[in-house]
Amino acid sequence: MKMEEGSVSSLDNSKLEGMAQDILSELVEDACLGLCFEVHRAVKQGYFFLDDTDQESMRDFEIVDQPGLDVFGQVYNQWKNKECVCPNCSRSIAASRFAPHLEKCLGMGRNSSRIANRRIVTGNNTNNKSESDQEDNDDVNDNDWSYGAEKKGEHSQKSTVICLNNIFIQTFFHFYFVFVHLSSINK
Amino acid sequence: MDHTVSKIMSKDYQMKAAINQKLIEMGERERLKELLRAKLVESGWKDQLKAHCKDVIREKGLEHVTVEDLVTEVTPKGRALVPDSVKKELLQRIRAFLAQHAAL
Repeated sequence: MKMEEGSVSSLDNSKLEGMAQDILSELVEDACLGLCFEVHRAVKQGYFFLDDTDQESMRDFEIVDQPGLDVFGQVYNQWKNKECVCPNCSRSIAASRFAPHLEKCLGMGRNSSRIANRRIVTGNNTNNKSESDQEDNDDVNDNDWSYGAEKKGEHSQKSTVICLNNIFIQTFFHFYFVFVHLSSINK
Repeated sequence: MDHTVSKIMSKDYQMKAAINQKLIEMGERERLKELLRAKLVESGWKDQLKAHCKDVIREKGLEHVTVEDLVTEVTPKGRALVPDSVKKELLQRIRAFLAQHAAL
């Protein structure tokens, strides 16, 4: 839209100011309308008065800030130092160690069978069961409850022996397959 | 009837329409709207007005309140409650825009 040149100079500042004020009041009216629509929708959808709470229930659910209690006012380390009696071996075990002890004691759970197998392997050093070898390779990475109860030196010695055995077996099989393959080509 | 026609044909009106169009096209009107909204929330204007809305609703009854009720009750108060600092800031930006683009 073309305007005359020099139209600005012919405009008073007051006109420009008047325009600015008009624009401002339009913007303010937009804001007010926006709020009205927002409120009206909240009323009709039923969530307008949701954030009104009375003083009494505010006091009931206030955050608790005392030592030894969580924000709800409950005691949270009550069972830390209690001891439980194992129903299997009738020993007194600390509460935080109770679950893994039960696992081993009852012979259930992931670790107990693997540990049992490993004990069998180290029991017969000359006997090489391929199953237990493979299982033990997983075992190295799998430690649900780590207590350091098993000595580190012993552990690495056992696993090294087992790994070496595994390598020998694999190499043997590799050569065997290559041999078979070559002989079938020659035919 | 002639008054309306002459009003629309007047240069002032045309200029105003052109400026408005420019504001919209350049996205400045949207930015100004957002700025105003943010400032109003910051200054507590929205909460004040919302409390006033609650009174209006309780008066008219929750089930029967209409948009028109709210608009007629709330808008004048809303206009009056805008803080001066907010008005000043918005006016500054608008004037700057006009100074830049009213000449073209």
